[in-house]
Amino acid sequence: MIELKGIEKHYRRGAEDVRALRGVDLSVDKKELLAITGPSGAGKTTLLHILGCLDQPTHGEVIIDGVDASRMPEAEVVKLRRDKIGFVFQQFYLIPGLSVYDNIALPLLFSKKPATPEKITHLAQMVGLEHRLDHVPSQLSGGEMQRTAIARGLVNEPEILLADEPTGNLDSENSEKIFGILRSLRNNGLTIIMITHNPELAARADRTVHIKDGLVHKEE
Amino acid sequence: MNGYLKLAVKNLLRHRIRSSLTMLGIAASVGVLFSVLSFNSGFNKGLAAELERTGLHFMVVPSGCAHEVAALVLHGAVIPKFLDTGVMGHLQETSGIAMATPILVAQQPNPEKERIDLIYGVDMEVLSAIKPSWEIEGKIPTQDNEILLGHEVAKHEGLKPGDVFTETADGTSLVIAGIVGLTGSQDDAFVYLPIQTAQRILERPGAATAIGVKVTDPERMSEITDELTSAVPGIQIVTMGEVMNSISNLAASARALSLAIVLIAVLISAVGVMNSILMSVFERSQEIGMMRAVGASRRDVFRIILEETTILSLTGGVFGIAMATLGSKLIEAFVRSVMPFVPTGSLISFDPFLALGSMLFIMVIGLFAGFYPACKASKINPVEAIKG
Repeated sequence: MIELKGIEKHYRRGAEDVRALRGVDLSVDKKELLAITGPSGAGKTTLLHILGCLDQPTHGEVIIDGVDASRMPEAEVVKLRRDKIGFVFQQFYLIPGLSVYDNIALPLLFSKKPATPEKITHLAQMVGLEHRLDHVPSQLSGGEMQRTAIARGLVNEPEILLADEPTGNLDSENSEKIFGILRSLRNNGLTIIMITHNPELAARADRTVHIKDGLVHKEE
Repeated sequence: MNGYLKLAVKNLLRHRIRSSLTMLGIAASVGVLFSVLSFNSGFNKGLAAELERTGLHFMVVPSGCAHEVAALVLHGAVIPKFLDTGVMGHLQETSGIAMATPILVAQQPNPEKERIDLIYGVDMEVLSAIKPSWEIEGKIPTQDNEILLGHEVAKHEGLKPGDVFTETADGTSLVIAGIVGLTGSQDDAFVYLPIQTAQRILERPGAATAIGVKVTDPERMSEITDELTSAVPGIQIVTMGEVMNSISNLAASARALSLAIVLIAVLISAVGVMNSILMSVFERSQEIGMMRAVGASRRDVFRIILEETTILSLTGGVFGIAMATLGSKLIEAFVRSVMPFVPTGSLISFDPFLALGSMLFIMVIGLFAGFYPACKASKINPVEAIKG
């Protein structure tokens, strides 16, 4: 489904030349739950952004469903992100003034698809938030905010869900809930790539890729 | 409400005070803009109506400045010149003149009361036609020894209808028939009395500062004025159209200045909008990064930000126009206190075309102000933004 070939990412930080990724080769199968682990600064998030077509590699190819996304014009990349990829972030990034319902529906605004109450309610039920649809983010717990973000990531019915430390800001109980949701999504056919610092969760993924110094150090 | 609009409204509501202050800045500048434009239209209409009410077609005055005549006709400015007594005779002999009414305006020292009275002698019937908006306590003088007092004079002297104002040199007591209600203009400082009485007090029988003339056939007016100018030396004829132009030109200078100030205020409010939206864009850069990640294009982000400025401009515009309309009486009172030659009646009235024009103008300014922040937002790199 996704294949990374010789991915390198270089950028400048002040006077320093940073080589965040130094030639990553990686393939991810459909319906796979892949955990990416590694120390801070290893290049995990950069890799996730490249996988999600948010960032372009300096060298290498990002092949999604047989098409090299690293050479696509921006308009096509935006369309690809809308149609195939969902994002979940550690900090949730919910919009404070919007209700849970509207936060979940937000990506539909950009994909110009109708936000039907049935669809939003179904997603809210899937993440256990059907009773919180009218609440705003400030009225939610961390776990609830992350579940809202997961529902938002799913609203465009993507094939791939990319999650950057989705349990990083949560306690163990909520981390377990979030992982349970991701696991059940994977069982329903979604491809999930998740960065995590939690070795227990990583161990329960289908596969774990350990990144170190911009390279795939180890696969388990 | 469409999704973009809803998002823009919610974003603005997140910083209610900031948004309200920015909106108030726009409201103030639009309100003043609308008032100045409305005043422009109301002033000309009011002036035309006021000149129409006089029922006069032209004024005969001593050669001099037409502005002085304008001042005299509307507000009784004192001109230290008099027409020859023979002028009235010429006018009466000229064919095509339906009515000629002399007006005598002068300063009259009153040593007994240690003051200078401003005398305005006119046919009392003409006066009531010229000043229909006056509220008079008492009545218009009907006798030769009756007078009408301006509000300030009456207040200063503590006089009321029925009191004796003063005694003339020939021993006649001038009795107050009525007192004019406060007008807020120069009218408040005058003593109005029948023309013959004024001529007698000033010891200038038959004299006039100006003569208002009504012709039988307005189409023959230029023929009549040409005839008079050539037959009577030392006079100048000023038609009501010229009076209107003179006053309008004076007012136009004031208007041009105020319009320039208003435009500066509009620009300042536009900079305020730009600053406010720019701040909010910087504060929300992570959110914007998230939106890009979940499928928003640069254009989507641009549109959201531009809708925010549109909402601010629109609400500010509506609020400003509403406030200007509701506060028009206060603005009018202020204008009357600082501007000479302001016609009576309503100067600022709600004109839907002017309101629409002001709204469109501020919308365009708002869009310009929003353009830069919207561009800036649309160029935010999602990766950098999400990293914070």
